[in-house]
Amino acid sequence: MKRSTVRLLAPVVALAVVGVSCGDDDDAPDESARGRITEVQAGDSILDAVIEADSLRCGVRADLPGFSATNEAGEHEGFDADFCRVIAAAVLGDATKVEFVDVETAARFTALQAGEIDVLSRNTTWTASRDGTEGATFLHPTFYDGQAMMVAADTFTSIDEMDGAVVCVAGGTTTEGNAAAEFERRGLTVEVSSFESVDLLQEAFLAGSCDGWSSDYSQLNSLRANYPEGSEALVIFDDIFSKEPLAPAVIDGDTAWAQAVNWAILSTIQAEEYGLTSDNVDEGLTHDDPNIVQFLGGENVDGTVLDTGIGLPPDFAYQVISQVGNYGEIFEANLAPLGLERGVNALWTDGGLQYAPPYR
Amino acid sequence: MTAHATPAAPSPTPRDQRGHAAVPPWRDVRNLAWLFQFAVVLGAIALVAWLWGNYQDRSAASNIPSSFSFLNQPADFPISGSDFRRTQPVRAAIVEGLFNTLRLVVAGVILATVVGTLVGIARLSKNFLVNKAAQVYVEFIRNIPLFALLVLMYSAVVLRVLPDPRPGRGGSWEWGPVAVLNTRGIGVLWFEGGNLRFVLVVAVFAVVGAVTARLRRRRSDATGAPARTGLWGGVAGLAAAAAVWALLGLGISAPELSGLRTTGGIVMTPPYAAALAALVIYTSSHIAEIVRGSILAVPRGQGEAANAVALSSFQRMWFVVLPQALRVGVPAIGNQYLNLAKNSSLAAAIAFPELTQIVGLSVANRSPAVPAFALLLLIYLVISLVLSALVNLANRRLAIVER
Repeated sequence: MKRSTVRLLAPVVALAVVGVSCGDDDDAPDESARGRITEVQAGDSILDAVIEADSLRCGVRADLPGFSATNEAGEHEGFDADFCRVIAAAVLGDATKVEFVDVETAARFTALQAGEIDVLSRNTTWTASRDGTEGATFLHPTFYDGQAMMVAADTFTSIDEMDGAVVCVAGGTTTEGNAAAEFERRGLTVEVSSFESVDLLQEAFLAGSCDGWSSDYSQLNSLRANYPEGSEALVIFDDIFSKEPLAPAVIDGDTAWAQAVNWAILSTIQAEEYGLTSDNVDEGLTHDDPNIVQFLGGENVDGTVLDTGIGLPPDFAYQVISQVGNYGEIFEANLAPLGLERGVNALWTDGGLQYAPPYR
Repeated sequence: MTAHATPAAPSPTPRDQRGHAAVPPWRDVRNLAWLFQFAVVLGAIALVAWLWGNYQDRSAASNIPSSFSFLNQPADFPISGSDFRRTQPVRAAIVEGLFNTLRLVVAGVILATVVGTLVGIARLSKNFLVNKAAQVYVEFIRNIPLFALLVLMYSAVVLRVLPDPRPGRGGSWEWGPVAVLNTRGIGVLWFEGGNLRFVLVVAVFAVVGAVTARLRRRRSDATGAPARTGLWGGVAGLAAAAAVWALLGLGISAPELSGLRTTGGIVMTPPYAAALAALVIYTSSHIAEIVRGSILAVPRGQGEAANAVALSSFQRMWFVVLPQALRVGVPAIGNQYLNLAKNSSLAAAIAFPELTQIVGLSVANRSPAVPAFALLLLIYLVISLVLSALVNLANRRLAIVER
């Protein structure tokens, strides 16, 4: 091409690029690299996107045994991972249609905001700031936890002896603030060291760099069970000094999806209340109590099937219980081996906090 | 005789006032160049505007704030090694993190320069062992990622070499009143009585030392006696500094072990020690190569001339070779300083509360991510610009004056 032709065409091309880039934003729904609808507009819900893609992207972690960790085969196992399967079973009818996405603590809310994951099930505490500033909507807490302190055996017997102690935490969570608040409340001084990874924290603790290790009580149990020097080398104090309701979260502004996920979770609690387990759920379809039959999406004696209109198939509870299990089964399978007891996570009929609204 | 008709002269090219060939404006190269630049700038602005608009729309759709008002919110996290209270605002936390980063950067720059220069000179030594040792050091360190070095320094070196202070596991090393070492920290002898007064003492030392050195130099030029400026300047400076020290009532604080804690002195936490060591080792290996290259760039005749006037090898290096070498090397060394300043952000992984970690903590505690990290980028930009301005100052002073 002649130089003069190039010089003529170049600004035209530049202006064309400018024009195209300016005109494009609001015509089509924003599509992420995976072709999903990631921006909620009128009529679009993540529920529809998940059904259309036939797979649920669930944000979890890979390093907390009991809640969410990968086994030798690379599959995710744990309490939070099982609740991902519960949601997939409810929405898609198949508990295996989950795509587990490991998210770092620092990136978990940005992943949700950006639409990289559909639901976050990663032992995340429900707080007001996260409802607000982080743009998340939290659903029914699956585990009511609290923050506790773990020390090496034979060093301290209670937090009150730890004036001026060095407490190590895995950072980026509510843990630092809670630890500092608790020591302030007791009139003690503390140095809080905030690590990014649990592995380096464990190295520091083994080398004697920390007096105490603070985290959620459930996490401490898991970490203690996997401590290299054995779990007898560590002692977890009984004082729980914060409220940490761990709940799955979805993004703000999508009520349909939030309600669908919420009822998927609540169905496990309701199932335990009805005494339905993965073994006897088939008998529930022909139960005398019509509430149980309707709950499972079965046909009543008169041929009617209850459809509550929350966007889930009528038999979602049946799929959840038969493929994953009820709340008690999920708890027993994942958290009981860590030594955790039901405590406040028992059903309301047993004096705990797990209470599902009626399915009617 | 046949008359040949003279071929008609071609009509002259139309020209404008300046004598340029007249060209229609849409083909005029000067116009087109200007138009193209304008279009590119417009394109760049449009891209940034589109990204900004996209960000604002998405934040509004998810009810996430996108302003800088988070700086006034209570931080809700403590910072180790300082008096920061969690009810103080986020901007105070960021300032605290900035000071920690500067502690790392300033100490790192000074140590890396010293170590790097020594290793660079060692690389050129005639002594086989020294030469090879320096070569192995440089080749190994230059070729490993800094993050791996950092984690190695922390978990394998600092935490394993230092003793565990807990009873029954060894106990700390106490080196008299000078230092106390354990995995909680390295406590070293330090002054007590206020930072400002200490800076005054250092200033007195510098001024008195420089003045004495200059007087000695003048005396030596006049009488020919050896100047020994270093000796005279150093002793005079120390004497004056000691006098001012006593006058201002500064004291010495020795580190002491009480239980598991080290009180007194100044305590270097293991994360700081590991981060400093890793940064210094890594950057010094790069600076060593730059120093070696710039020394080799000094013409050989300079060194031979220095030998001819019977300068000792130290004098040859210090007065003849290094000044000329540094002129070549300063811009590249300045680049390494910038790398050090930015690499200091990796120390967040080993629990050193520097700027990146503080901003990360605030984002985890409800600050919006995009404004917070944009602010972080701006602060690093300012640090880098200040560093490079200082290096340019040094460069201008050392610049080769061409005749």
